Amino acid sequence: MSEMAHKAESSVPLLVVENLHVEFDTYGGTVQAVRGVSFSIEVGKTLAIVGESGCGKSVTVQSMMGLIPMPPGRITAGSARLKGNEILGRHIIKGRDIRGSQIGMIFQDPMTSLNPTMTIGDQIAEPLQIHRGYSHAKAFKEAINLLSMSKIPEAAKRARQYPFEFSGGMLQRAMIAMAIACKPSILIADEPTTALDVTIQAQILDLLQDLQKETGMAVILITHDLGVVARMADDVAVMYAGKIVEQGSVDDIFYRSAHPYTLGLKLAMPTNDPAKQHKLNPIEGSPPDLFSPPPGCGYCPRCPYAMEICDRQQSDLIALSGHHASRCWLHHPEVTQRPEDLTYAEGQR
Amino acid sequence: MWWFIGKRLIQGLITVWFIATATFFAMHNVPGDPLLNDRATTPIIRANLEAKYGLDKPLLTQYFIYLNNIAHGDFGISFAQENREVNDIIREHFPVSAILGVLAVLIAAVGGILWGSLTALYRNRMPDYIIMFLVILGISVPSFVIAALSQLGIVTINQLLGINFLPVAGWGTIYHMLVPALVLGLSTMAYLTRLMRSSMLEIVYSDFVRTAKSKGVPPARIFARHQLRNAVLPVITVLGPSIAAITTGGFVVEIVFAIPGLGRFFVEAVQQLDYTVIMGTTVFYGAFLVFMVILVDVIYGFIDPRVRLS
Amino acid sequence: MAEYSAADFAPLKVQSHSQTLSRPSLSYWQDAWIRLKANRRALTSLYLVIGLLVFTLLGPLIWRVNPASQDLDQISAPPGRDRGALVVPEYTPWEGPTTQATELQLAAPPTSQAVRLQWAPLPNAHGHRVYRNLYPVGPERAFGIPLAEFFDNSTLYFEDRLDLRPGRYYYSVVALNDNGRPTTEAQTITVDVRRATSISDAIKQGIIPVDAEVEVGDVLQVALHPLGTDYLGRDMLARLMAGARVSLFIGIFAPFLYVLFGVVYGSVAGFLGGKIDQLMMRFADFVVALPFLLFMILFKIAFGIGPGESGVFPMLVAMILLLWPASARLVRGQILQIREQGYVEASKLLGAKSTYLIFRHMLPNTLGVVLVTLTFEIPRAIFTEAFLSFIGMGVAPPTPSWGSMSNEGIKTMLNTPHELIFPALMISITVLAFNLLGDGLRDALDARMRNTE
Repeated sequence: MSEMAHKAESSVPLLVVENLHVEFDTYGGTVQAVRGVSFSIEVGKTLAIVGESGCGKSVTVQSMMGLIPMPPGRITAGSARLKGNEILGRHIIKGRDIRGSQIGMIFQDPMTSLNPTMTIGDQIAEPLQIHRGYSHAKAFKEAINLLSMSKIPEAAKRARQYPFEFSGGMLQRAMIAMAIACKPSILIADEPTTALDVTIQAQILDLLQDLQKETGMAVILITHDLGVVARMADDVAVMYAGKIVEQGSVDDIFYRSAHPYTLGLKLAMPTNDPAKQHKLNPIEGSPPDLFSPPPGCGYCPRCPYAMEICDRQQSDLIALSGHHASRCWLHHPEVTQRPEDLTYAEGQR
Repeated sequence: MWWFIGKRLIQGLITVWFIATATFFAMHNVPGDPLLNDRATTPIIRANLEAKYGLDKPLLTQYFIYLNNIAHGDFGISFAQENREVNDIIREHFPVSAILGVLAVLIAAVGGILWGSLTALYRNRMPDYIIMFLVILGISVPSFVIAALSQLGIVTINQLLGINFLPVAGWGTIYHMLVPALVLGLSTMAYLTRLMRSSMLEIVYSDFVRTAKSKGVPPARIFARHQLRNAVLPVITVLGPSIAAITTGGFVVEIVFAIPGLGRFFVEAVQQLDYTVIMGTTVFYGAFLVFMVILVDVIYGFIDPRVRLS
Repeated sequence: MAEYSAADFAPLKVQSHSQTLSRPSLSYWQDAWIRLKANRRALTSLYLVIGLLVFTLLGPLIWRVNPASQDLDQISAPPGRDRGALVVPEYTPWEGPTTQATELQLAAPPTSQAVRLQWAPLPNAHGHRVYRNLYPVGPERAFGIPLAEFFDNSTLYFEDRLDLRPGRYYYSVVALNDNGRPTTEAQTITVDVRRATSISDAIKQGIIPVDAEVEVGDVLQVALHPLGTDYLGRDMLARLMAGARVSLFIGIFAPFLYVLFGVVYGSVAGFLGGKIDQLMMRFADFVVALPFLLFMILFKIAFGIGPGESGVFPMLVAMILLLWPASARLVRGQILQIREQGYVEASKLLGAKSTYLIFRHMLPNTLGVVLVTLTFEIPRAIFTEAFLSFIGMGVAPPTPSWGSMSNEGIKTMLNTPHELIFPALMISITVLAFNLLGDGLRDALDARMRNTE
C-alpha cells in the first residue's frame, strides 16, 4: 500500500505534519476530533484544507499552533516539523517563539478576535515588541506601515483607533497586518472570509494573494467554501470526520475528483456556467458522531457507491498520481466496476 | 465624554428628587402626628418645627417647603436632640462612615479582582477550590455573625498575646478601622470574586486571547494586557450597587464595633423616631449613592473605550 | 493484495453502523434536570432545601414544645447539659457554720439551691469581701462580681443564692484593711454547682406530678432542650422551628411575589416597546436608585406595627415595593431578545396573536432565567430579614425569626455562644443551600453550555 502524497520530488517542504491525533474530553465522552492527519506545504504555496463544520480542519491547525485549550483538548499522537524542527508536544515553550514570528494566524470572526480595549496599532505592534524586541514607538510606526500595506487608508489615524471603530472587513485587514508583522514563513487563515460580506470577501482574498506574492510566504487556508479554494489554492486537502479523505493539486480535486465526498461537495456547489448548470444536490445525512467513530469509512452511510468493505474498514490513502491520493476503496486495484461520475478514476487506470 | 458625564449628572439630580419625594410621602404616611411623640419634644423644639415646616399648612405646601429646604442643603432640626441640626449630625458622623466604606470598597474590589483572577487561572485545581469554598462561606454567613466572630477573634488574640494587639471596638486610629473594614467588605469581596472568576473564565476562552496566543504573547503579558482589563469591566459595572450594599451594610458593623458613624446614628434615630434625622439621612445617603454610581460609570468609561468614545 | 475478496467490493446492502444519534433527544427541562442531577453540589443543596422545609413544616408536629413558654429553671442553658436535678430538702435559712474553717472552704455540698462558704480570717484582715466569677481569677485578679462585705472578722461565712446555675464558679474572699479597702490578701476556690430542687419546687415547675413518690436524694430529670434554651429560658429548637416559619416565609414568599411582579412589568414593557417601554424602565431605574435598606426601614416605620402584630406583613410589602426592578429589567431584556428571534417572526407571519406569542414563545423562554433569579433572590430576602431583625427593625418580639434570635444571641455571645450559633447556622445553611442550588440551576439551564458540547 503506497502511503502519502507528500513525497514531492520538486522542493523540500516547509512544514510537514504527520499522523496528527487530537482528542477532546467533553461531558458526553471523548471526541476524536482529528484522527491521523498528515500533510505538507511548500514555500510560497497555498494549501487549502476543506471540509464541513466539525470535520476537524480548524482543530488541526489550532493544535499545531498550540491554541487548543488543554485540557480538555489533547494531542495524542503526531508530529509537525517546521523547517525540520518539531513544534508539537514538549516543545510547546519554543512554540511561543514560532507563533507570531514564523507562523502567523488569522481567524474567522475579526469582530471578536481583536482585543476591544486595546488600540489596533498597539495590537499590531505587540508581536514586533515580543519577537523583534522593538521599542513601543518603533513597533507602532511599523504597525502603521503594516496597516497601509494591508490597504487601510489613513493608517496613522486608524492605528490609534479601537476595534469597535472598524468595520468587519477593515478589522480583517488589521488582523492580516498583525499576522504578517514579523514576516512569517507561513500564514494560517482559518476561515478568513466566512464572517464577511461577499464583496469584502473578494477584497480580503485579493489582499492575501498580493501579500503572498510580496513576501513569499506559504498560506494554509481553512475553508468550507469551494469557490475560495478554486481561487486561492495550489494544493487541496479534503477533510471528513477527522481524516483527510482526498488530497492533491487544485486541478486534481476539481477536475479529477477521486473521492465520493469530494464529488458530493462539488455537486452541492452552485455554478454560473449555463452549460454545466445542474440542480443542487445536497449530501443527505450527517457526519458520524466522533464520540465513537465507526470502524469503516465515516462517509459510508452517505455514500451512493458504498461497498461491503466500506462498512467494516476504512481504506488508506491510495496514491493516484503525483500528489493526488484518495482514501477510498474504489481505487483499490481489485475493484472492477467504478462509477462513471468518478471520471478520473475511470480515465487514469 | 463631558456630554456623557453631564447627562448622567442631570439624570442623577432627577433621581435624587425622586428619592426625596418618596421619602417625604413615605414619612407622611406615618400614622399620627409626628410632633405628638412625647419622647424628647420640648415646646421649644415643637414651636421651631411648626414654624419651619408649616405643619399647619396643606400637604403640598409642606412638600414644597421641604423640597426648597433640601435644595438649599438644609435637612432641618433634630426632633430628639434640642437645637441640633441634621446637617451637623451628618457633617460629624458621615466622614466616619465614608472612610470605613471607602476602605471596605477598596478591600472588596482589590481582593475580588485578585482572588477572582487567581481562581480563574487555577480553575479546577486546589487554589480554586479553596478560594471558592471561602467565597461560598463569605456569601452565606450573615455579616453580623462575621462581625461578632471577628470581634471574638480579636479578644482571643489580645488575650493570647497579653497585649492590645488590635482594639476590640471604637474609632480613631487606623487600627480601629482595619478589622471593621475587612468585615464590611468581605461579603462584597466574595461576590466580586465570583463575578471576576466567571468573567475571567469567559475571557480565557475568548477569541482575542486566542489571537494574542497566536502572536506568541507570553502568558504573563496576555494576563496583564489582554485578560485583566476586559475581565474587570463587568466587575466595575456592579461596583456602584456594591458601594450601596457596603454603605448600608455598614450599619451592622458600626453597631457591633461601636463606631460613631452615620449608620449607627440612623438606627438610633429610627429607634427614637427622630423624623427629620431619618428623612435627612435617607435623602443624603440616596444622593451619595447616586453620585457614587455616576462616578463608577465615569470610571467605566475611562476603562472601556466603547463607552468613552461613543 | 489478495486479502480482499470480490465480495468485499460488492455494493453495500446492509449498514451495520446505521446512522443513529448516540444521544437521545431531550426536552429543555429534561436535559436541565439530568444536568442538575449530575451536579453533586446542587443535588446536595436541593436535599438541604427539602430538609429545611421538612424541619419548618413537620418539625413542630414532632417537637411539640411551645416556643414562647419559658423554662425558668434553665435559662441560657447550652445543649447537652446534664439534666439531673438532685432532690434536696426544702430550703431553710442558714445560721452559720458549726465548725471552724482553716481556709476558704465549702460548708455544705454546693447546689443550685445554695452555695455555703466559710473561711478563716485572712492575715491582717479587718474584714472580708466575697466575690464570684464565671472565669478563673488569673494573675490580673479579676474576681468577678462582689457578693458581700463584712467589716469585721466576726462573720466568716456566706451563703450565695444569687441566680445560681449548674456549672463551675470561682469564689474568692479578699481581705479588707481597716479603711474597708481590699488588700492583696485573697483566697479562691473552685466550686462545681450541682442542679438541685426541692420536692415542692419540682411539683410547682411540673417536673413531677403532685402525687409522685420522691425522696430527698433522688435525681429527677428536668425538661429536655436538645439545643438548649435562650436568655428567657425558651426552648431553642422550638424557637428555631417557629423562626424558620417567619424567615422562610419572607425568604420564599417575598421573592416569589416581587419576581412575579417584575416578570409581568418587564414583559409588558418589553412587549409593548417604544415610548411606553422607555417610560416604564425609567421608573424602574428610579426605584433601583432608592437606597434599599434605608427605605425598607422607612416603609416599616410608615406602615407602623400595631400591638400584637409581628411586622412580617409590612416587611413583605416593603420588599415587593422595592425589589421588583431587577427581575423586570432582566425579563424585559430577554423579551426584547426573543422578539427578534426568527421563530417569533415566523410565528407572527403565520398570524399568531400577541397573547399567543407571549404565552407560547416569550414567557416559556424566559422561565429558566426567572427560575434562576428566584433562587438567588431567596438568600437575599433571608439576609434582608435577618439584617433588619438584627438592627431591631424586623419582626416584632416575641415573634421569633432567625435574625431576631441572632440579635438576642449576640449580646450573650461570650457566655452562651449557642444562642447565636444556632440561628446564625440556620441562616448560613439556608443561604448556602439556595446559592448552590441557584448555581446548579444556572449551569443546568445555560443554553450556551448545551451548544459548546
